[in-house]
Amino acid sequence: MAKQFMDPHDVPAIPGTEGWERLYPYQYQFSKVDPERSAFESSQIWFYDGLHYPEPHYPFDLIWDEAWSLALSQYNTRHWLIPPALGIDHRIVNGYVYISPVGVADPADIPKRVPHFMERAGYYFQNWDRLYENWKKKMTGVIDRLEAMNFTELPEMEDISVIKEGLGIGSGYKLLKQYDDLIDLGLLCWQYHFEFLNLAYAAQVTFFQTADQIFPGIPMSTLTKLSAGFDPILFRPDAELIRLAKLAIEVGIEDLILKPLKAEDLMKELSTHPVGKEWLKELEKSRYPWFHISTGTGWYHTHISWNDNLNIPFDAIRTNITTLKSGREIGRPTAQILKERDRIADEYRKLIKTDADREAFDQGLSIARLVLPYAEDHNFYVEHWFHTLFWAKVRQVGQILQNAGFIENADEDIWFFRRDEIKQALWDHVTSWSTGVRARGPSYWPKEIAWRKGVYAKFKEWQPPAALGTPPDVVTEPFTIVLWGVTNNVLQSWLGSGGDGGSENEIQGSPGSSGTAEGPARVLKTVEQLADLKQGEILVATTTSPSWAPSFVKIAGAVTDVGGPMCHAAIVCREYGLPTVVGTGKGTQLIKTGDIIRIDGDTGLVTIVKRAG
Amino acid sequence: MTDKEKRLTIWYEEMEGADYPLVGKKNANLGEMIKAGIPVSPGFSVTICANDKFITDTGIKSELEKRLPDLGEVTYESAKEASDFAVGLIEQTDLPADLEDAILSAYTQLCERCGLPACPVAVRSSGSVSMPGQMETYLNIRGERDLIAYVRKCWSSAYNTEAIMYRMNKGMAFLFNIGVGIPKMVNSRVSGIIFTLNPVNGDLSKISIDVSYGLGEAVVSGIVTPDTCLVDKVTMEPIKTTLGSKEIQCVYREGGSDIITCDVPEGKRRMTCLSRQEMLELARVGKLIENYYGKAYDFEFGIDADMPFPENIIILQVRPESVWSKKEVAAKTEKKADPMERILSQLLTGVRLR
Repeated sequence: MAKQFMDPHDVPAIPGTEGWERLYPYQYQFSKVDPERSAFESSQIWFYDGLHYPEPHYPFDLIWDEAWSLALSQYNTRHWLIPPALGIDHRIVNGYVYISPVGVADPADIPKRVPHFMERAGYYFQNWDRLYENWKKKMTGVIDRLEAMNFTELPEMEDISVIKEGLGIGSGYKLLKQYDDLIDLGLLCWQYHFEFLNLAYAAQVTFFQTADQIFPGIPMSTLTKLSAGFDPILFRPDAELIRLAKLAIEVGIEDLILKPLKAEDLMKELSTHPVGKEWLKELEKSRYPWFHISTGTGWYHTHISWNDNLNIPFDAIRTNITTLKSGREIGRPTAQILKERDRIADEYRKLIKTDADREAFDQGLSIARLVLPYAEDHNFYVEHWFHTLFWAKVRQVGQILQNAGFIENADEDIWFFRRDEIKQALWDHVTSWSTGVRARGPSYWPKEIAWRKGVYAKFKEWQPPAALGTPPDVVTEPFTIVLWGVTNNVLQSWLGSGGDGGSENEIQGSPGSSGTAEGPARVLKTVEQLADLKQGEILVATTTSPSWAPSFVKIAGAVTDVGGPMCHAAIVCREYGLPTVVGTGKGTQLIKTGDIIRIDGDTGLVTIVKRAG
Repeated sequence: MTDKEKRLTIWYEEMEGADYPLVGKKNANLGEMIKAGIPVSPGFSVTICANDKFITDTGIKSELEKRLPDLGEVTYESAKEASDFAVGLIEQTDLPADLEDAILSAYTQLCERCGLPACPVAVRSSGSVSMPGQMETYLNIRGERDLIAYVRKCWSSAYNTEAIMYRMNKGMAFLFNIGVGIPKMVNSRVSGIIFTLNPVNGDLSKISIDVSYGLGEAVVSGIVTPDTCLVDKVTMEPIKTTLGSKEIQCVYREGGSDIITCDVPEGKRRMTCLSRQEMLELARVGKLIENYYGKAYDFEFGIDADMPFPENIIILQVRPESVWSKKEVAAKTEKKADPMERILSQLLTGVRLR
């Protein structure tokens, strides 16, 4: 009898948060009201999506969860007709998002979907490079439109041009429309996000499984080395910081940059310096677009970009200068990685004994490599570049509402609205503006927001279980396997079955990046805590972001709660040669800052050697 | 004769495969392994020439030649009679002083190299023609006096009854000079067996290491459950270590050359007995051996407690892998017309979770 996780309907509410459900869309709730839907919910596996969401959800930030819920699922179900797999269903429990892969219910429907899948997916695979080039144009078009947006205060009176040009519309209407356009652009961006991704992951799963048939037990780290090694643009921002550091040394202004000044003051000083002025021009070249990288994963509004806070890249440039001056090489050895990739592929190929297996291996590898640039690069366009610009626009909306007295702090409060509630509040605001009367917002929202903040703080203290419901026999949904790394081993460790000699001091995850490390743990629950990292510590987080790369110069290794072979943490750590264990399920729960831990990136084992005093 | 052909002792690292007429096959093979970069226990050969000098200078050769015409038809009885005579003669005759000096001088150097006074060595016979199991090997020999005595015993073992019958039946000469190999005894802290493939499924991309405490006999004879380590042969990264129970280990009896078993302390049983560094070095040597011989091999190794890493990694015996290498290899994947068909098939199969 297989073990089960807690039934999703049985998760107790946190005392003092009663009524929390109104922070999120109603369809995100587990509910027993409809027996059919309730039975479905109990029969599914629901796993906590800590890969994307290490923190509970702010009501507004749920926009991206809804956006991908729609986009990922539609491509599986309605675009490609992935024969056995439908979408990924979403729920929210005490502020944390749980997701569940859904299969085609009636097996008889599967063969009917096959010819459609072959025609549709086949077309994209055959025309991949051309369609991908076009995708980049579409994406940069969306980003240009977003950048052009600007939310400003409603005027005391309409400009005379509105009259003389006979426009016939008002600023209140335009504000509402522009807010709709902003949301619409976000959803559109996420439609594109998934245009290729489902197929890319299907191709990767195929290669991984084919290679595993030929070489049983081939480690994930090897598989990703075989298919990886292009020049992902996610590494470009870090490369720019190294370029700027080298340039500063070359032109002899490193001492100036090393001065512990705020970015703003330093830039002022540089602009009056003859050489510094030239260096600033190079900085500007790097900033657009490469400093649009998020300081986090991009999923939360708190994940601002380097452009939003230039102190962050300046600190990293200083670290780079110091490192370079001490004679150490930094940067990603691209040529070496590519050479090693080709050697590994070549050696593996030579070990294959039959023509049939060789052909299967080559087929698998060719498609895995075809899809890789998209799989690696789309993140920068969407989660980093688009998202960080998007958050900044929403802050402008927040400023309007703060000025109107609806909220106390634009930067902190706007995220506690659902996105449909912002539209309502804007209606309240523009109608009061048009009518010339007092709005209800100032007497309604501040109290509600204060209550929501309290609920959110309680969510934050709660530790969401790794999974709920019933584990399935087979997973066919490509994302579940490749991105979240949900496999038998992972489920077993989530169930806490112990298995082979597991104890409280041993946590089994998946190998993320080769090598071993031992040192004090630093458990990071929020992006801001990144600043606390000390030399030689092992970073323990729910997940990591590519923009943390500059900090990777310091740490000895990394452990994440969630993630599969292609998750961002695994990709980045492999590139930087940092021993890493991913998908531990509960690393951030069991490990405390200061514990001495040993990690083995080859076996996926994390051992707590000594507890902090 | 070249200089090398006249020498009485030759260090392992000075030999190569083609030197088997000088030192015997077993010794020449060790030289060949060292040339290929395969680490073996340090030691030297007492040459075939030295054996010849012994029987010539002492008059044993002419004594034996005199007896030979009386041997008559080869029967067990006649072979045994000849054997008794030859063995008695050899074992009771002192070595010429210059020969004894040559052997002891090499031994003294070996002791210095290993940093051990009276370094324990093995004394192994090594014929220029393979005669499997016909001649003797002596283990755990220490000190100058014993060494000389056992070298003589090794020489005499070429005249034991079975060896004489074997040669006579093959039409070989009665007189038979052999080489003697004198390697340091490996003081195995841990030892085991390596396959340059996964012996469980024949997967050529893995190196499999079975390893336990003490002498290799414990693993070879299967009286302990060893640790099993799998290493990726291409990337040289450890994949998985399965901990064995390792309750007992084999050791040499104090001062003797016979093997006894004793308990492994509780605490050590639950630890992996190889360090990551040792595991990777063994895998590297495994890949080297496979590349050198051009096919999958299995071999025994020991990690010597007296020596520092990486010189402590000692390869004891190598042989071609014999199970999977003989099997017809069947394709493990289904044939698909194109990558799309393969993706479709994968999506329909999914990934089985339990």
